[in-house]
Amino acid sequence: MILWRKMMRDMWGNLGSYLACLVLVVIGMVAFLAFAIASNNMAVSKDILYREQNFAEGFAELVAMPEHYVERVRRMDGVAQATGRLVRDVQVYDAEGAASVYLRLVSLDLQEHGRLNDVLLLKGEPLAARELKGWLDQRFFHANDLELGETIRIIAGGRVRELVVGGVGTSPEFVYPMRTEAEIYTDPQRFGIAFVPAQAMWQLFTDYDRAFNSLVFSLEPGADFERVKERLELELERFGVLEIYPRVDQTSHFVLTEEIEVINTMATFFPVIILMVAGFIIYIVLRRLVEQQRGQIGILKAFGYGKRQIMFHYLSYSLALAAVGGALGGLIGMWLANPLTDMLYEFFHLPPVYTGFSASALATSILICVGVLGFAGYHGCKAVLRLTPVEAMQPPAPPVGRRNLLEKFPLLARMLTVQGKMALRNISRSRSRTAFVFFGLMISCAMVAFTWALATEAMPKFMFYQYEQVETHDAKITLDGPRRRHSIHRELQGLPDVSLAEPMAEVPVKLSHRWRRENVLLIGLLPQARLYNILDVDGRRVIPGDDGLLLSQRLADNLAVGIGDTVELESLYLRDIYDKVEVDVVAIVPQYMGMNAYMGIAGLEELLGQEAFATSFLVEFVGGPGPERERVTALRELYRESDLLAGVDSRLEQLDLMVEYWEEAGWIIVLYVAIGVVFSFAIIYISSLVVLSERQRELASMRVLGMSSGEVFSVITFEQWLIGVVAVVAGAPLGRVILGAFAQSWSTDMYTMPAEMSAQSLLAGVAITFAAIWASQRFALRKIRRLSMVAVLKARE
Amino acid sequence: MASSILVGTGLKKRYRMGEVDVYALKGVDFTLYKQELVVVLGESGSGKTTLVNLLGGMDQATEGELMFGETAIHQCDEDELTEYRRNQVGFIFQFYNLMPNLTARENISLGAQIASDPLDVQDLLEQVGLADRADHFPSQLSGGEQQRVAIARALAKNPRLLLADEPTGALDLPTGRHILALLRRFRDEYSKAVVLITHNTNISQLADRIIYLKDGRIEWVHENDSPIAPEEVNW
Repeated sequence: MILWRKMMRDMWGNLGSYLACLVLVVIGMVAFLAFAIASNNMAVSKDILYREQNFAEGFAELVAMPEHYVERVRRMDGVAQATGRLVRDVQVYDAEGAASVYLRLVSLDLQEHGRLNDVLLLKGEPLAARELKGWLDQRFFHANDLELGETIRIIAGGRVRELVVGGVGTSPEFVYPMRTEAEIYTDPQRFGIAFVPAQAMWQLFTDYDRAFNSLVFSLEPGADFERVKERLELELERFGVLEIYPRVDQTSHFVLTEEIEVINTMATFFPVIILMVAGFIIYIVLRRLVEQQRGQIGILKAFGYGKRQIMFHYLSYSLALAAVGGALGGLIGMWLANPLTDMLYEFFHLPPVYTGFSASALATSILICVGVLGFAGYHGCKAVLRLTPVEAMQPPAPPVGRRNLLEKFPLLARMLTVQGKMALRNISRSRSRTAFVFFGLMISCAMVAFTWALATEAMPKFMFYQYEQVETHDAKITLDGPRRRHSIHRELQGLPDVSLAEPMAEVPVKLSHRWRRENVLLIGLLPQARLYNILDVDGRRVIPGDDGLLLSQRLADNLAVGIGDTVELESLYLRDIYDKVEVDVVAIVPQYMGMNAYMGIAGLEELLGQEAFATSFLVEFVGGPGPERERVTALRELYRESDLLAGVDSRLEQLDLMVEYWEEAGWIIVLYVAIGVVFSFAIIYISSLVVLSERQRELASMRVLGMSSGEVFSVITFEQWLIGVVAVVAGAPLGRVILGAFAQSWSTDMYTMPAEMSAQSLLAGVAITFAAIWASQRFALRKIRRLSMVAVLKARE
Repeated sequence: MASSILVGTGLKKRYRMGEVDVYALKGVDFTLYKQELVVVLGESGSGKTTLVNLLGGMDQATEGELMFGETAIHQCDEDELTEYRRNQVGFIFQFYNLMPNLTARENISLGAQIASDPLDVQDLLEQVGLADRADHFPSQLSGGEQQRVAIARALAKNPRLLLADEPTGALDLPTGRHILALLRRFRDEYSKAVVLITHNTNISQLADRIIYLKDGRIEWVHENDSPIAPEEVNW
């Protein structure tokens, strides 16, 4: 009991350090519990939505399949349930034509029971079979300030139609709706989902009378997706299978799962770092305390206190902190978890699930803290175990001085001043601290260089390369399907505002090499195309030829092909759709957004056995930058009711969206750089404090000899700069490795994150780390100035 | 009479100890002459160390004046005090306070390299009899050897004033005599003024002047006309 009182008073006497440690522990545990509970809430809510709304396990895209055939699919081996849908993208008619707004119409079979990917109706009324009334996804509904009963004018089948808003809902398939897989953001103002009765859809799109172009299915327990896929491919071949893919590749599911994963990572990453720093502080504080209280330990031992009792007394400092910090952090974390979950629901619109007080979560929080701080505390005060009472009552033996390995090089030894030698020897004298400072600074430097490269090179390149370097048109006119190109080309070229129009053919193909297969878009371009530039790694133009394919790097990797290899091509656009043709790979080019193959358009037409055709046109306006937006609007106006056109997109609008998205994401980069800086700062500051505390006698002696505070401090700073220089030399390449690993893990078939790091980013990592070292040293210098020579030297060591 | 190098008048020093003010010095007048060896005697807590700290520029008086030639030490700022300690004062402590990770030679060089007119390090090593132990670290030296390094380090700066606070306090008699002999030799050979603090009255017999402090004041001063040789000192 008395020892408890001693502990409380000791802690009170060094309140600053213990408080800093406690605050860190609380922050760490708040981050841990808030993120862990929020991610668990999201996962549970996702599972509930998936289960209740029968989220499919497989997705097939087809050209067209008769409605009655769905029943046959349902009876197939391995298939538990199947639902056919007609899915069509339409443009929303906008009187001003200022922006392209698209709706994806997804048919609902109102008769079907237990439909897959069902809609959870949040508000509104049931739909009637033949009425053009739909349920909108809630993001689009809210982003556009719509009301129930309001009508949206859409252009479908070449005509403007009025779609009545009958309700608002959410579907597991569109928790995070994206118009194309290659997009990296959602813009709920410009793209949304409308669930419309199948009958009404068939009335809109007469080409699809009682036919579906999408099939979703669930599997029987134990069924293997790949096997079912093979069977389905055979079964559905005659209906033009474009792609069959499992749930893991479904865009919305992929994004949602990734997000939950990211929050989970945050629940581990931040607390681990914070607890490591807290552990280090308690280690240092206790080690110092045990040294200072050597005499007291001797007296306790002389009184008959056992080693373990004394050990437990000192350990109790860290255990008390752990218990209080763990409990406080746990409670605050639990309290903050639900508001955090709310923020995430705001973004993902999942049905809300919350977690109340959980005793096990609180216990986990306390146990983690006790584990980490107990471990650190034990190492801090284990010296108690070794001391005998007699030893404890005597001053400690002077530290042993040794020459450093580097001093064996005579030239270096001669170059060093006495202070330089001291610094060098201190490095090898305190190996564990040297290692701590080295690893800490190395990681900080790597983190800053990595983030810097990500923010200034990789992300901008990833986001803007496509719309600044590759696509240089002013507008892209997408046709509603493949059309003869010459007449449209002539017409577009003849428009007064248009200075250049170039055709583009986007053909879905399946490329195979040995057992590897990939479904991609093969893009046919004019060899002299100016509005779509294929560039090699050095930014030089690559001309798409008529005799072979240009593959994106990722596609080439996935197919395991190199230049000169031959791939097999299948396509519904082939004159004989059952045919397979062989094509050579003539070049491999980088591509960050999407995964495509390229070819000269004439060569592509010849390969497919088709006449000259295009699926879209790229247009450049007369007069350069400035009035494009108005001209895009004029173009939209001109072709508003044409049934040949699916949409007109402005490149600048895409670019603006990217910029907007990028600006929103910017704070995360700032946060990471800040963490790197704070980390370096904390490491050097803590290390300086430890050095000051351990060597205050030496430092005071130097002051007495007549050295200024700055000269004395230079011994410590020289030591830190030495470690710092070596650490950044190791940290910069580590940053490159982290960027490579990050790019690798982040890249999918749809996106490839560039992983190059320029010298500028490496320098930024080095400079920012050095700046953090310099700044923290200024703080420590103030402590040296306040060092009382008289008090230090008078005290017995 | 030799010329004075340090003159203190009405020196007072007040410390704040917890919630009370404690006067360690209550008004001390003190003059130190060139090449003089002064022993300051007194019980624990009499103010000896405080006085030496003031003389050495480690601390500043709360009241009173301290003049080093034309320099008013009591008015110096931090940088001027550093400059004073660097060039004019050499300190020697009871517990040596050597840098544990510097060899004997390097410890002495540490003093020499910052001074404007240092003495030769090798010469000093020989004079303190440690030429053959020059590359040993403090942990490899005995207490007496460590104190000899400390004296050489203090002297290396070639200061006008050597201040020694209980320099023999941790040493046995023969070693202590050796240290005292060194101090006196250096006073003679290099014309230094030496202030030696001790509570050991026997040591005071080798001084030119003995000052006895009690309760922060000078109780008495004794001019010693016949100082004994260090070899004759006993305790």
